[in-house]
Amino acid sequence: MTVNSRILRNPIMVVGALALAGCITSRVEDARINSTGIEAGEGVVVMAKSYHLGNETEEKYIQCIERGLARGASSLRVIPHREFVDSLFPWFEPRTAPSETKHLPKLMEYPGVVDRIAQQKVRYIIWLDGDTERVAGGGSLSCAVGPGGGGCFGFAWWQNQADYEAAVWDINELEAAGTVTTDVSGTSFMPAIVIPIPLIARPQAKACKTLADQLQRFIVNDGGGDSA
Amino acid sequence: MLSGMLIFGLLAGCGSNVRLDPPTIPTPLIVKVPASIGLRMPAEFQHFVHDEEIIGREQWSIDFGSSNAALFTQLFGFMFERVTLVSATDDPKDLAIDALIEPSIEAFEFSVPNQSKTESFAVWIRYRIKVYDQHGDEVANWPVSAYGKSQTSSLSGTQALQRAAILAIRDAAALMIMKLDEATGIGQLAAARARANTAVVSEEEPPSDSE
Repeated sequence: MTVNSRILRNPIMVVGALALAGCITSRVEDARINSTGIEAGEGVVVMAKSYHLGNETEEKYIQCIERGLARGASSLRVIPHREFVDSLFPWFEPRTAPSETKHLPKLMEYPGVVDRIAQQKVRYIIWLDGDTERVAGGGSLSCAVGPGGGGCFGFAWWQNQADYEAAVWDINELEAAGTVTTDVSGTSFMPAIVIPIPLIARPQAKACKTLADQLQRFIVNDGGGDSA
Repeated sequence: MLSGMLIFGLLAGCGSNVRLDPPTIPTPLIVKVPASIGLRMPAEFQHFVHDEEIIGREQWSIDFGSSNAALFTQLFGFMFERVTLVSATDDPKDLAIDALIEPSIEAFEFSVPNQSKTESFAVWIRYRIKVYDQHGDEVANWPVSAYGKSQTSSLSGTQALQRAAILAIRDAAALMIMKLDEATGIGQLAAARARANTAVVSEEEPPSDSE
């Protein structure tokens, strides 16, 4: 018997494992501007909107989306963003990257740009904007250690909000295909009676999975029509 | 003895030393400016070190090592048809160059997560690019302000600061690729010198004996 099956057959352990997660609420939606689709061999690049524009998207979130797009039944070929940026230096640096699709025709006029994009078979660029931040928290928790031992007492909680938007640009058509947004709120709790019991919510991980799944559907366009 | 050293360490506060490895930039997708330039890098530019104490917190020392020299040599090699490294004692008049470029660092600043209340290190560098013509007269004086930012979520503090500094250097490179010629007129200097050379050659040519 494997460890997993042992856990699943013990209802007390299942309930305990579920209880160790905090509360999460999530929402994901897309707004389609143009039709999408992807041919065999074509790929996508996931980029963060420039920090010169005040964006704070985390590097680990970009990597998480890259991994998420590359797995599953509708997996996409993902070109690592650093490799893409290096291959087109200096036109996708934080200072120089196009901020709107209307800048794409000018970008394509620079020597070698069209060829490099074609070599890598990049069909879509996905621009991520947003971040995860703590929006609330409270409670009180204190711990003490003495000669006879130690312990904690109290209750603390905090709420993290993960808001991300992915703008999808179609490089073949040089126009925006649409956007996918996700908002995830997670509240974590830490009650303590001698021993603190962390009940942690991970909204960023949830926001990564929901956004990557929805982006796959959006690009492959197996959802059967527009949604908003 | 050991406890004494520990106490001294605590009283002295924490210190972090960051040393940058020479960065390399990818080959840019540009057309080279048809100019022959000289590159003169002052000693303090080639071995730039920034020391700063964040009040009540940490002492930071950021050593650029040979990063600036490596970057500018590589960058100008990509941007111009010919680059000659010029020492402080060389006279530009004796060199067959269209322009002499002398970079320096005018200002360096950085912020740590405690200051910005974010998870990021940020670095600002202001370079000063002076351009001299072949006679040694200053023809352009251009400030290049660059910015880099890196998060601590997947890197240690010193690694994140290193990464932010490298990104700032790369940002400067991108800006120079885009604007250096326009801001300093090096291409025009080269074109003017080429025209002057052509005129001299035509004057020196003997008259044709077609009669």
